[in-house]
Amino acid sequence: MSETGSSRKRVAPIIASVVGALLVGFLWVLVTAKPNTVDDADSPLLGQPAPSVVTTTLNEEDFVLARRKGSWVIFNFFNSTCVPCVAEHSELVAFNERESTAANPAELYTVINDDNDDSVRAFFSKNGGEWQKIRDTDGAISVAFGVAKVPETWVIDPNGYVRLRIAGQLTPGLLDDQLALLKKQFGS
Amino acid sequence: MLSAVALLAFGSTRTSDPQTQADRIDAITKVLACPTCQGESVYVSRASAAESIRAEVARQIAGGQRSDDEIIGYIEARFGSRVLLVPRSTGLDSLIWVLPVFALVCAVGTLGFAFRRWKVVGNDSISEEDAQLVERALREEQ
Repeated sequence: MSETGSSRKRVAPIIASVVGALLVGFLWVLVTAKPNTVDDADSPLLGQPAPSVVTTTLNEEDFVLARRKGSWVIFNFFNSTCVPCVAEHSELVAFNERESTAANPAELYTVINDDNDDSVRAFFSKNGGEWQKIRDTDGAISVAFGVAKVPETWVIDPNGYVRLRIAGQLTPGLLDDQLALLKKQFGS
Repeated sequence: MLSAVALLAFGSTRTSDPQTQADRIDAITKVLACPTCQGESVYVSRASAAESIRAEVARQIAGGQRSDDEIIGYIEARFGSRVLLVPRSTGLDSLIWVLPVFALVCAVGTLGFAFRRWKVVGNDSISEEDAQLVERALREEQ
């Protein structure tokens, strides 16, 4: 009895410390794990050819992304009822003005996400923004880019490769800075 | 008993492949998570992103070019593996399937080992002192 009792006394603390160490390990993993937020700007599409986009603009013109090769293309996924979209709008207007005087201006497009034409027209006539707005019927473009929540801003290089995804609201100067970096890296 | 076996045999041999396009859309959207909701499938959710994914799945099935797995792969390649409600059984994700079975085998093994030990301890460990005590008590009773 005394022999088995003492062996149990020896083994029990070892098992308890192993279980304790495992629990502490799990806790450590949970505490230090990076939260998977929606603002995560990573995307499997970065560095890949941009998905095919064939649609129409609010002015009833055809839009084919593949025909825009040679220019930097910016897609801004937008909905007129989304608060951060409204908040970042002045930033996009300023960006577009600055780009219009640049040597090789980037083409800015608004991709209408789950919104109707009239609301978008009303929003732009009130808040400005002279660039093209393209329709996303049934959300096909949003799914092709993996956009779940607006606003999102995507940059496509002159060769048609996806170079940047900015999830969430644009901060002042962010798009200019990032585009300048990309132009330096991949050539304008 | 016989009917249960018959039903089981019928259930396991019956082909479970969805037949119509609507069935395929339902089957695929049930294993995809709505990317903007918590724990809801695309099949259940009415969020805008889920509606878009459902429309894309329907479009691809109507196109007839891709299998169900390829359509799920297309959505996963866009939104990342967090849109999969059922984790993949390859790579690191396979641990999700393997670890519980491993833990169960370990637990049953440890319990079996412990029960055996308790039994052995119970048979052999009457101390001299205890034996004398019992003997004394029995004598006193007589």
